[in-house]
Amino acid sequence: MSDEKEHLDKLMQELRRGTITIGVLSQLSNPQYGYSLVTMLAEKGIQVEPGTLYPLLRRLEKQGLLDSKWDTNEARPRKYYLLSETGKNVYDLLVVEWKGIVESLNHVIENKGDDENGDG
Amino acid sequence: MEMVDRYIYAVTQKLRQDQREDIAKELRSLIEDMLEERVGSRDISDKDVEEVLLELGTPRKLAEKYRGTKKYLIGPEIFDSYLMVLKIVLVTIASIMGAVFAVQTILDPVLILDHFIDLIVSIVTGIPIAFAWTTFGFALPEYLGAYQAKDIQIDMEWKPSDLPPIPDEKRQIKRGESIAGIIFYAIFIVILAFSSEYFGIWVFHDGFSGVVPFLNEITYGTYLLFILLIFGFGIIKECLKLVSGKWTYKLAGYTLILNVISMVVILLMVNGPAFWNPDFMNELAQAGVVTVGSEGYDVVQKVWEQSTFWIFVLLAIGLIWDAIDGFIRARKK
Repeated sequence: MSDEKEHLDKLMQELRRGTITIGVLSQLSNPQYGYSLVTMLAEKGIQVEPGTLYPLLRRLEKQGLLDSKWDTNEARPRKYYLLSETGKNVYDLLVVEWKGIVESLNHVIENKGDDENGDG
Repeated sequence: MEMVDRYIYAVTQKLRQDQREDIAKELRSLIEDMLEERVGSRDISDKDVEEVLLELGTPRKLAEKYRGTKKYLIGPEIFDSYLMVLKIVLVTIASIMGAVFAVQTILDPVLILDHFIDLIVSIVTGIPIAFAWTTFGFALPEYLGAYQAKDIQIDMEWKPSDLPPIPDEKRQIKRGESIAGIIFYAIFIVILAFSSEYFGIWVFHDGFSGVVPFLNEITYGTYLLFILLIFGFGIIKECLKLVSGKWTYKLAGYTLILNVISMVVILLMVNGPAFWNPDFMNELAQAGVVTVGSEGYDVVQKVWEQSTFWIFVLLAIGLIWDAIDGFIRARKK
């Protein structure tokens, strides 16, 4: 049993790696700082570790998908991230791709029985 | 909160200078946010801080994520080649040191303890040096990013039609040949470096009684450097062949360049002052190999005087042929 769980954990880690990016981009039409994103995503059922999210935010910023700004007015200085123009366009395209993947995979998963019958 | 400072320092130390300040600031506000959520309105204890930092993971891992890439001394792309070359180098050097020890012990059984100490000394000094230079040779291009840039380029421009044809039998370079070549060069390096005094005419009178050396032992130290250079070039050449696996114009070109440099160095060396043993003929006569005034003496003297010229000619022909052979093989499709 624990062996299966180990496999599952590994595969889930790989699966999450890509989907987290979509989750992050989806929440950044309005400026957010890192930790508020962690809690927002957690509330919506997407678990992201801060140690993963923060480097990801910087990487997306470096790639030009996000803009950032330091807000030093509050008691605690925070870096806010927001989708850039490029980021918005890329996000829209990404959503289309994602829906395609979901559809294809659903199709594959749900028709599994038919194929097996056909082969047998 | 001192622990937080230490954590942030540990992470940012592993990052590029220009990123440090920004990441440190962001990390601090993150940790404070996490602490705040954890404790609510009560005071923050050391235990809370510890738990939050444990959640963030080790500084090394976090810094790795920030960097995006892992750092290597020898990256995975070239690790296999590195390991192969390292094995060849170390096995060769170790076996040759053993051979030197054996030769010395046979010649001088009484001094076996001294030879053994020599063996230990050369292992202790020689093996790490070989290890270091091999590693350095691979690590420097890695540090400069040579391997990565090339790989990315290949990935981007790759077309199946660009696949190289399977080389002709005659274009292929057999691994065994290159490895044998490296071992050959290494044997000579070791023999010349550690036991040049045995490089000469061996005299036997009721068993081994001494060597009349070819080389001038007083100036030998200086020349040894040149000799090591030439054989070092030979080893580089064989390594290039090993990596390439087949003859190409580029490889033949490198071979030509290395051979020309070797030839120039040899020419400078054998024509330089006092390379050969100046007392060779006298010592030979003293050892009783030839008698002064005899016909044999004249012949040997002639051979000795002309040898510089002929040795150079032979070496030159060998090196030139080596390069031409490379080009001929590279032409074969």
